[in-house]
Amino acid sequence: MAEVVLQNVMKTYGNLYAVNDVSLTVNDGEFVALVGPSGCGKTTTLNLIAGLLPMSGGDISIGNRVVNDLDPKDRDIAMVFQNYALYPNKTVYRNLAFPLQMRKLPKEEINRKVQDAAKLLDITHLLERKPRELSGGQQQRVALGRALVRDPAVFLMDEPLSNLDAKLRVQMRSEIKRFHHNLNATVVYVTHDQLEAVTMADKMAVMSGGLLQQYDTPANVFANPVNTFVASFVGSPAMSLIPLEAAGNALRSPEGWELPLSQLNARKAANSSTNKIVLGARHSTLKLHKAAVPGAVPGKIYTVEPTGDVTFAQVFINGAVVNISLDPTARIEPDETVWIEFDQERMHLFDAETTMALKAI
Amino acid sequence: MTDATASRIRPVVKKSVDWWRWAGRVFLTFLLLFTVLPMAWMILTSVKSQFAAMQYPPQWWPAEPTLNSYFKLLNPNERIGQDFLRYFWNSFYVSLLTTILGVVVAVPAAYAFSRFRFPGRNFMFFAVLVRNMFPAVVFLMPLFLLMRWMGLVNTHGSLILTYLTFGLPLSIWLLKGFYDNIPIQLEQAARIDGATRLQAFLLIVMPLSTPGIIATSIFSFIGAWNEYVYAYTFLSRDDQMTLPVGIQRFFTEFATDWPGLMAATFLMSVPVVVMFLVLQKYFVRALTEGAVKH
Repeated sequence: MAEVVLQNVMKTYGNLYAVNDVSLTVNDGEFVALVGPSGCGKTTTLNLIAGLLPMSGGDISIGNRVVNDLDPKDRDIAMVFQNYALYPNKTVYRNLAFPLQMRKLPKEEINRKVQDAAKLLDITHLLERKPRELSGGQQQRVALGRALVRDPAVFLMDEPLSNLDAKLRVQMRSEIKRFHHNLNATVVYVTHDQLEAVTMADKMAVMSGGLLQQYDTPANVFANPVNTFVASFVGSPAMSLIPLEAAGNALRSPEGWELPLSQLNARKAANSSTNKIVLGARHSTLKLHKAAVPGAVPGKIYTVEPTGDVTFAQVFINGAVVNISLDPTARIEPDETVWIEFDQERMHLFDAETTMALKAI
Repeated sequence: MTDATASRIRPVVKKSVDWWRWAGRVFLTFLLLFTVLPMAWMILTSVKSQFAAMQYPPQWWPAEPTLNSYFKLLNPNERIGQDFLRYFWNSFYVSLLTTILGVVVAVPAAYAFSRFRFPGRNFMFFAVLVRNMFPAVVFLMPLFLLMRWMGLVNTHGSLILTYLTFGLPLSIWLLKGFYDNIPIQLEQAARIDGATRLQAFLLIVMPLSTPGIIATSIFSFIGAWNEYVYAYTFLSRDDQMTLPVGIQRFFTEFATDWPGLMAATFLMSVPVVVMFLVLQKYFVRALTEGAVKH
């Protein structure tokens, strides 16, 4: 196992910056998720680590060895692809044996390692089958098996779960997590699903437009998003963002109401480059009132979505859609006017101009 | 779809399908007769005696079938047999070389067109296809002059070169479609698993593209095997003739020996038919591959 270090990594296509100056360190044995919407550069970054694409700039090292100019085969990595990329004309056994054969291991050793991997993933009974005779979940296991049979320094995974149905995805999610735990493997995992990243990863790297936005533990990313992009990308339902104006110790809405700020929050708001502020709040930190209370702002119910143990409501506040979670016993109707109370401790303030989170310095 | 809607729609659909089906059957029967009758007539005539073949009204079914014509053609001790076997060998040799060289060129070309983005890629791919926009005869004189200039007239090289030029566009085009359908991740996986680029191509991609290679091989082989006009123009020495030209020559030279001619044409079609029957599976797969997303 080994650590992976990216330093100022660039990948350009003409004027397009697919990966723009990304630096991050994946510690030995860590599970890191690269997460972001499609086209954000996460898969490109993974392919750069794998050596499948040439870099335009920067350095990548795996286990203290700069691998910039090394072929994929010499980087001591294994990769699991979204479409599994199992060799269709080979049996499962031959698929698993291929990386070992390429390394010219003796036959007995290949056999032993293949059997071990098959046992670990519970696919021993499938060894003589061809990939097309397997279910999606089984193919997924074989793909994992082919990656781990060689005991590589780093595992790279490119959306390995997105071709599975919802139920199987949840099951394989915990299996991959277990697999990481058992092998103590260094894993770089690409996904567009923030929930996968949050549930599986030790650290998540949120990317957008080729730029690394934030790199931290899921808990920290969730609690302290650095900008509005990260705030709205991580969490489900997403953090609600309301554009407002700073007015002394309060935030003012063009609709006429004012939201008073705590001292700390007022200091944050004062640091904004303009008086335009974006207020962010997660659904669970909001309180709904049926009548006006001090410090609450008015809104109109848009939709009500009961999910069983919690009911989500969407409320229009100052033209923005705000998600709020309610007790399932709550009785509210669309178009009803309600008052929303914010939690001063857990609200987020962003500079509307720079989109960055405001700090109280 | 519920059962109720299905049963409501069915009667209407059934009627129109039946009508079309019958029209289709009639048409296909007609087409079948159109293609099979000449072949049947060819085979039947080839086993008649010279006298029976010339009879009028024609004798549909040979009263005394004989394989004499075949014995004559395949007997290396007779003049006619020597010629025929020589033509057969010439054709085989020219077609085989055309096919092998074609595959050797088309496989890397198609792979490059499919996998790599390089300057001039679109233009070159278009240029490859331009040849197919003109009828083959248009190139007859220019190519003849070119071959004469290169000193290739009266050599089999001139034919192989010409057939390659004509066969390659289709081969490259067909094979490119094949490579497009092989996910690039397979090669990437192989390269990560320890293969070089070349090994990934040879060990993973090549086996998967075998049906395509077989299909293109059949195409170029048949193209070369059947070609007449260029062979007729480029070759004048009797011992170099390929089958299509040779057959035509030596049967007009002597009195028209219909059973002999038919036996020769039948023997000429044997390799192609056998090839089709043996490799049909791959051939059909090659033409339908990619029609449906897997």
